[in-house]
This record gives sequence, structure tokens and C-alpha cells, in this order.
Amino acid sequence: MLELKHALDAKGHCLLEMPSGTGKTTTLLSLIVAYMKAHPLDLTKLVYCSRTVPEIEKVMEEFRKLMNYYEKEMGMEQNILGLALSSRKNLCIHPSVSKEREGKVVDGRCYGLTASFVRARHAGDDAVPVCNFYEGFDAHGKEFPLPPGVYNLDDLKEYGQAKGWCPYFLARYTITHANIVVYSYHYLLDPKIAEVVSKEISKTSVVVFDEAHNIDNVCIDSMSVKITKRLMDKCSNSIQILETTISNMKENDNRRLEKEYQRLVEGLRDANIARETDMALVNPVLPSEILEEAVPGTIRTAEHFVAFLKRVVEYIKTRLRVQHVVQESPAGFLRDIHIKVCIDRKPLRFTAERFSSLIRTLEISDLTDFSPLVTVSHFATLVSTYTKGFTIIIEPFEDRAPTVSNPILYFSCLDSSIAIKPVFNRFQTVVITSGTLSPLDMYPKILDFHPVIMTSFTMTLARPCILPMIVSKGNDQVAMSSRYETREDTAVIRNYGNLLVEVAAAVPDGIVCFFTSYLYLETIVSSWYDQGIIDQLQRHKLLFIETQDAAETSLALINYIKACDNGRGAVLLSVARGKVSEGIDFDHHLGRAVLMFGIPYVYTQSRILRARLEYLRDQFQIRENDFLTFDAMRHAAQCLGRCMRGKTDYGIMILADKRFSRADKRSKLPKWIQEHLKDTNCNLSTEECVQISKRWLRQMAQPFSREDQLGISLLTLEQLQSEEMQKKIHQRAQAA
Amino acid sequence: MDGNDQTCPKCKTTKYRNPAMILMVNACGHALCESCVELLFAKGSGACPECKCALRRQNFRIQLFEDPAVDKEVDIRKRILKEFNKRQEDFSTLREYNDYLEEVENIIFNLVFDVDSTNTNKMIDNYKKENKDITMKNRNRQSQEEIELEELLEAEKAQQSEKANSYVNAELEEKKQKHKAREKLIDELMFSDADAKSIVASHVQATAALAKEQPKAAAQAGGPVVKSSKFSSGIQIGLRQNTSSFLPIPKQQDLPLFHYSAPVFDYNGPSPPAIEVLGKLKYFANIRAANATERAGGYTEALSCCRALQEAMGGLFYIPQSGHKTAVAASAEETDDMETA
Repeated sequence: MLELKHALDAKGHCLLEMPSGTGKTTTLLSLIVAYMKAHPLDLTKLVYCSRTVPEIEKVMEEFRKLMNYYEKEMGMEQNILGLALSSRKNLCIHPSVSKEREGKVVDGRCYGLTASFVRARHAGDDAVPVCNFYEGFDAHGKEFPLPPGVYNLDDLKEYGQAKGWCPYFLARYTITHANIVVYSYHYLLDPKIAEVVSKEISKTSVVVFDEAHNIDNVCIDSMSVKITKRLMDKCSNSIQILETTISNMKENDNRRLEKEYQRLVEGLRDANIARETDMALVNPVLPSEILEEAVPGTIRTAEHFVAFLKRVVEYIKTRLRVQHVVQESPAGFLRDIHIKVCIDRKPLRFTAERFSSLIRTLEISDLTDFSPLVTVSHFATLVSTYTKGFTIIIEPFEDRAPTVSNPILYFSCLDSSIAIKPVFNRFQTVVITSGTLSPLDMYPKILDFHPVIMTSFTMTLARPCILPMIVSKGNDQVAMSSRYETREDTAVIRNYGNLLVEVAAAVPDGIVCFFTSYLYLETIVSSWYDQGIIDQLQRHKLLFIETQDAAETSLALINYIKACDNGRGAVLLSVARGKVSEGIDFDHHLGRAVLMFGIPYVYTQSRILRARLEYLRDQFQIRENDFLTFDAMRHAAQCLGRCMRGKTDYGIMILADKRFSRADKRSKLPKWIQEHLKDTNCNLSTEECVQISKRWLRQMAQPFSREDQLGISLLTLEQLQSEEMQKKIHQRAQAA
Repeated sequence: MDGNDQTCPKCKTTKYRNPAMILMVNACGHALCESCVELLFAKGSGACPECKCALRRQNFRIQLFEDPAVDKEVDIRKRILKEFNKRQEDFSTLREYNDYLEEVENIIFNLVFDVDSTNTNKMIDNYKKENKDITMKNRNRQSQEEIELEELLEAEKAQQSEKANSYVNAELEEKKQKHKAREKLIDELMFSDADAKSIVASHVQATAALAKEQPKAAAQAGGPVVKSSKFSSGIQIGLRQNTSSFLPIPKQQDLPLFHYSAPVFDYNGPSPPAIEVLGKLKYFANIRAANATERAGGYTEALSCCRALQEAMGGLFYIPQSGHKTAVAASAEETDDMETA
């Protein structure tokens, strides 16, 4: 809290690592709300970004608790408005549209009902359907702002139902004057969405990125484009649709095309763009000086533009026909496209904007058909705008199946700082926080910013409730490692199996194991089957395996939880970087032990990764190995952190690889894990590990009540106000 | 899947049946497979089987795009853009330039879809006449954008090779250093009498200090390593120049001017006669005259004669008391001087 206040005072950015389950969210919320109350002019808004919908809901619950507390203590209604925002899919209350399952379809149908031209048509002809909720919101919603309070997604829906207003647009409209906004990363980081949703958030806001250990990857994904052969074929089809629509329109109603043309000639920026419902197609980031320029003459008329698109599409198709892997820079691509099909850089840069203008003019309400063309137009705009920090990789086939032709063009962003830069520049304080951010100094480097505060916190615990251990060898003294050279070695695989069997015999309830990749998981399980280890394991616990199929995995998870709940006990074999390792908590009996088999390095042969490593090395002086280790260790830490979700929780963390005990790996673990990792536990054999865990489990299984924590990790109001404690706090504040 | 549905309209061969089939297109934008082209245009010219327009065999090119219409368009476009190559700099406002671009686009469109071709051709001819000199001028000039791109590519290339080298070197260096440090530690442990613990401790400290230094060094190395494609004066390395600016004239340095003065020789003896007067003094009477081949090489008898005289007379007044060593050095110098003279 102290560090956070420093950062707020300094109006700078900060990077905080706090163990999960220690009240991270509450701390952030309560201090920022208090700060907002004390300095209403310096700090007007809190934007809280989280990853998933359940996480957003959790934050809203915390906030509701906080508000209730305020009300109880202050004795009056608080004038603070907080709301959550999610996609249309989660907020729609239209009777038929909300039945749709896929987000894209919901967006498309919503657009078809609420776009400005559809509504204009509706005004003339009642048969054209519109969304009544949106009409209601548009008629009345803007005059009556949302009363202060806490609104999560369900509250918004209820409110919308009661008033007959569309909750999605209500929420989007309310963002501008709400005090606290909770939504997903993408609304701020993805330039395509950010421009629409978050444009009007004022500079004096605090932005919090929670669970931000993967923030660099989110940034990169939001700026990258992947083009496949199938996508290009679809593009050709939709260009044909465009052509026919234009010729139809020319015959029937030339006026609109003319009007658009005039506007483009005048070089006016689209006046329509302000209309909120037409935002289904948006620009990737463009420097504003370009946006102010007029659209170049080569793509001013609709036919010319379609011919232009056709050339772009055909050109990309020819590029996809290569027989070998090509890697080139955007500059090289631009030169080649100029030579081959005579396309200059400037019109290319306007592709996305011109395309969205065309779609609006043609009044096409079903956008789902055009999503491939949207992708291509984004690609064209990005490739001509950014010459640095991007690379183009064309692979004619996958590495694993070199005979199957499956050409893919990757336009990959290498610099994660590009997407997040506007956020850092615009807001006075950006807080990046997660349970596992170690090593902290890497993030400022790869995101290219200067934090004023950068701290890793530990937990104050009444008992040693985590037990990290590094197991480096089996009982037969063969070193355990997932190194490439030894991963096929039967002795290593058997030792891993024995470790799991013995741990399963000693540890109650649930055990979660993480492997480095799906491939490795499968080979190991099959050889365990041959060696009879699976049979031994099943004598103790049930076995569940994560697969690449999401539905299968969630079924396995449900049954795993069931098995743990009824006391049968279960083992879940999963993969680091998979679905289980991110965002699913194994608190209390669901995860009494986590085993990490091997160091989860990324697949280093991937060309995109190679290109990124090279870029990091050249641009930020980060060595390849440093980044790879950093990435592997943050994922390992993320996996380990799954079992620890609060102060009353306890769990064993076993790192089963010889290389973990090296200083460069060990020092990259989060501080709260390192603290409990004693030197004596760094080079254990299977048997020693089991002995230690047995003793520790016996200790942990003792009843643990609130009184035990009092005075150590939990303070009553009296204890907090005692002179001794006050002095301690004062000292800490002085020292910092 | 990949282009397997391509069919030759004449012989109906598909890419699937004959993977080696190559489609060709001509000015009309209709495709034909290679063998059909050979068959139909054996005489060198003929009619397109689809649109019956007259074509020449030479003009057949391999079809680059899936849609032959695009091939045709690109072809026309390249031809037109060769003529219509005005740049933004040639217009006073952006609006005019954009209008011009649209005009060009219209012409191309008309040609591609054969709309109003007589008028269009007339327009092109008019334009050609009117703008001959600008066209010629622009043909040799790259547009600003192209120059920018070229520069970027060049810089990228230079950076890449430079960086790769430097990092490989740095890594090697580091490995060597580590190896050395380890050996040193082992040596010390083997031969020194000091406490093993203290030796290890000092070693650890030394490596830590080294590790601290290294990133700094790396950062430093990272800075200047970037070999730019420019000189420090801002002039581009290589031929291409920014067309707008001239080469800055190198600044002259104000050094004192050179004045020639004839070298003065101290023969330390009677001065020998000058080379020009040797003939008059009949010195050549006693030596062999240079033959034709020697004279062709630039040798005259005067040279050797003069040299012999100088050697004979130099140092005649020399008095040995004045120090042996210096005298030898001096005489050596004299002969040197004489040779150069």
C-alpha cells in the first residue's frame, strides 16, 4: 500500500508482485478509492483490467464489499459508480441475439440491428427489424445517467431489462463518467478496440493490469496478423460480393457512392465514425498526422478500391505459393509489392480506413462474411505503417508435417512495447501486478517504460504453508531433467514416474502435475504405461489428463474436482502454458501438491520466436538465453502458484529438474517462493523429498484457527492501534 | 488445392492432371497453357482462341496470379505508370496530386475493361506530348518513398551483419573468460597455501564483479556497434544521394603553403661540376656512351658520370679527429641525399 501510494503521488508507473490470495485486489481497490476521495482532482478514475470474465466478477465482488464497508462506516450513500464491461456476448439481452453462442455472431447480428443506416431504414419502413433495447437506450438512456453504485454484468443486465435499455451500450456510454471501470485487457491494449471503447478516458486515471505476467504476449498478439490460404480464398469470394454490390448500387442508387466520393475528395475524416454503433470495423493504430490526410486518389472511387484490394489479395496469394520459408522485413515486403503489382505505400496505409468507409457506404449489415477482408486490410495498414519491430514470415508448411502444404503468412509483432506505449503515455499511473512477475527487471525492459516503484512482496505467514523443493535425482541417483538429450532416456522417465507414485502415496487429495509440452506429456504417459507406473499410480489416486481439446479438458477438470471433493483423491496431468496452468485455481484440497516435470521452455525452433529473440537482443540488449529462462521460469512460477490461493491454504511445490537448482533459474522464482526454498531442499532425491513432505504434511494437518494467525499475519483493530505496531509501521514507512 | 483447379481453356488440361503445366497470358488477359501456346502460335503470331484478337507469341508471359485478369491489369498498369510518373512534388497541392492519381487510375480502368478506348488512347498520347520532359526527368529519379524504403533496407542489412558478428564475438569472449577464471581457481586451490574457503570466496567475488561489469560493457558495445549507413557528417555511404541536397564541399584546412627551396648539400670537399656542364667539360670522353636501349630507359651517361664525380669529391676535406661515428653517419646521409637529388 505504501509503495502504491508513492506511485500515485509521483504520478508514475509501478510494478508490483504480490502473492495470490493475499488480498491484492482489495488492497488496490481500497487505496485507490480512498485516494480518489481525498484528491478528487488528481485522480478521477480507476480502470481495472483483468483477463477473464470470472476474474472481472471477482473484482466486482471485492468492490461491492468495499462499498458496503464504506457505507457502514461513513453511514451514507457513497457517490461512486463502478461497473464492469464485457463483450456483447455477455451483455446482450435481446431475446434472439443473446441466444447465439459465438461472440462474433452476436457482434454481427447486433450490428445488423443497430447500425445507423439500418435504423434510418427502419424509420422509413417498419418491416426492417431493429433492437428495441437499443432504441430505448438511444431515446432516453443518455439523459439519465446510471445512479451511483456497483454494477457487475448481471446487475447491468437486470437494470437494462427493467428499463428496456441495452446494457452493452449503456455500459459503454457510462464508462466516460464512471469512477471505476473493470474490463478485459483488450479494451485497452488492442488498438483496434481501444480506439472505440477507451478513447475518452481522461489522463488522470489509474490503470491496473491484474494477472499481468503475460502482458507482453497480449500486446504482441494484438498487433500480429496470421493469414492462411483459406482466408485468402474467402477474401476472393468476398471481393466478388463487393463488386456485385457496387455495380448494383451504381445502377440503382448512385447517390450514396457519389456522396462518399465527395467526402473523400474533400479529405474530411469520416463524420460517421463518431456514431457509436458503427464501430464493428475499426482501425489499427495509425499516427494521427496520417489520419488527417486525405485518402489518396488511387483508391478514392469504390471500383478502384476494389480493384486495389484484388491486387493486394492476388499478390499475397502469390506470396503464399512459395516452396520454402521466407522471412523479410516490412520494408522488403513493401518494395516487393511495389515492383510486382505497383502498389505504393501510401494507399496501402489507408486500406483499413477506406475499407470500413466502403462497407458503411454499401450498407452491408452482415459483417461476418467480410472478416477475412478485414484481416487483410488490417495487415495492409499495419505493414505499411510500421517498419520497425515487425517481421513477416511465410511458411509453406508446418515444421511437424513438411509434406502437407499449408502456407501461412505471419505478420508478427516483435516489440511488445508498441501496443502498450499509448497506455503508458496517456495515463498518469499504470499499475502492473500479478502473483508471479519475477524477475521484475525484465518487464520494464521488454515493455520499454520506467517504473517509479518496482517491488516484490512476500507473505507474512503464521506457519510455513508452502514447501518448495527441488528434486534433482531419483533413488538410483540418475539425474532428472527434461533436457533434450535425456528426455527419451527410460531411466529419467522411470524416475519421474516413481517420484509421482511416491508423492501420490504420501500426499492426500489432489495433485497437479505440469509437463513442458503436450508432446512430452504423451510420450511420458505412454512409456509409464509400458513400465507399469500407471497401474501403481491408480492404486492410490484417479488419473486425469489435459488434452488440447478444450471440451475434453473441462470434462476432465470437473471429474478431477469431483474426485477430490469426495475424498478419493486424484492426479491431474497437465501442460505448462496450457489452459489449466492459466487461470484455474487449485485451492485447498484440490491441489495439495504441484509437480513440475522439467523446465517449461518454449518451442525454441519456432521462427517467430527466433525473430523476436533476435529483435530483443538487438534492440534491448536482452540475451536470448536470458529471455528464454525468464519466460520458462515465469511459467513455472505460474504453475506452482496454482496451489496457493490464500493464507489458510497449504501445498507442496516440487520442481523436478536438476537445472532448477542452478542460481540463474532459482533466483528468477518469485520472492515469496524463494523465501521458503531452503538450501537444504535444493538437491534432493525422491526418497528424501517424500520424507520431508511427510513430516511437513503432518505439521500442516494440525487444526489451524483464526487465533493462531492473530498478531502475526492477521491484526485486530486493537493490535493495529497498539503503540508497538504503530511504531513498527512508522519505521517501515521511514525506511521505504 | 493449391491452384489445382487451374485449367487451360483450350486443351482442358488441369494442374491436377499435369502438375508441370504452366499457364501463360498475353495482352488480352486470357490464359493458355504452354503447350497450347507452342501449338497455336507456331508461326509467331495468331489469334486468341477466346477473344480472337491478334497476339504475338513473344508477348506471352507466365501467369503470375491466380486470376489472369489481374495479370493483364498489372501489365497495363506498369506500362501506363511508366508514362504517368509525376510525383507529389510536381503538384502544388495534395488535392491536385490526388486528382491526378485518380485520373491515372481511370485511364488504367478504361484500358483494362476496354471502355472508350479511342478516347483514352488519345488522352494518353496528348499527355505524352505535353509532359515529355517531366516524364523523362522522373524516370531517372526515385520517389521519396522508394528512397526511404531503400535506406531502411540498407540500414537493416548493415545492422544485421554487424550485430550478428559482435554478439558471436562477445559470447566467445565470455566463454573464454569463464574458462580462464575456473582454471585460475583450480590452480590456486592446487598450489596456494591459503585457506580453501577464502580462495573460493574471493573467486566468487571476482566473478560477481565481472558479471556486473559485463552488462555495462555489453550495453556499451550495443551502442556504437550499430554501423550506420551514413558518415558522421550525415552523408550517405554509397552512391545514392538525396537529390535535393548537394555534396557539401570539404572544408579546406589552413596550413602554411609549401615553398620550394633547392636542397643544399655539404660535400665536405670541392664542389663537383653540375650535370648540365659535364658534356662541355669533356668528361664523357673517358666513359662508355649509353647505347640505344639504355637511352630508351631514361639512362644517360651524364647520370653515372655525375654520380661518380660526386662520390670522388665528397668528403675530401674530411678530418677524422671530429669523431668517428658521427662522420660515418654524416657521409651515409650525404650519399642518401645525393641519390634522391
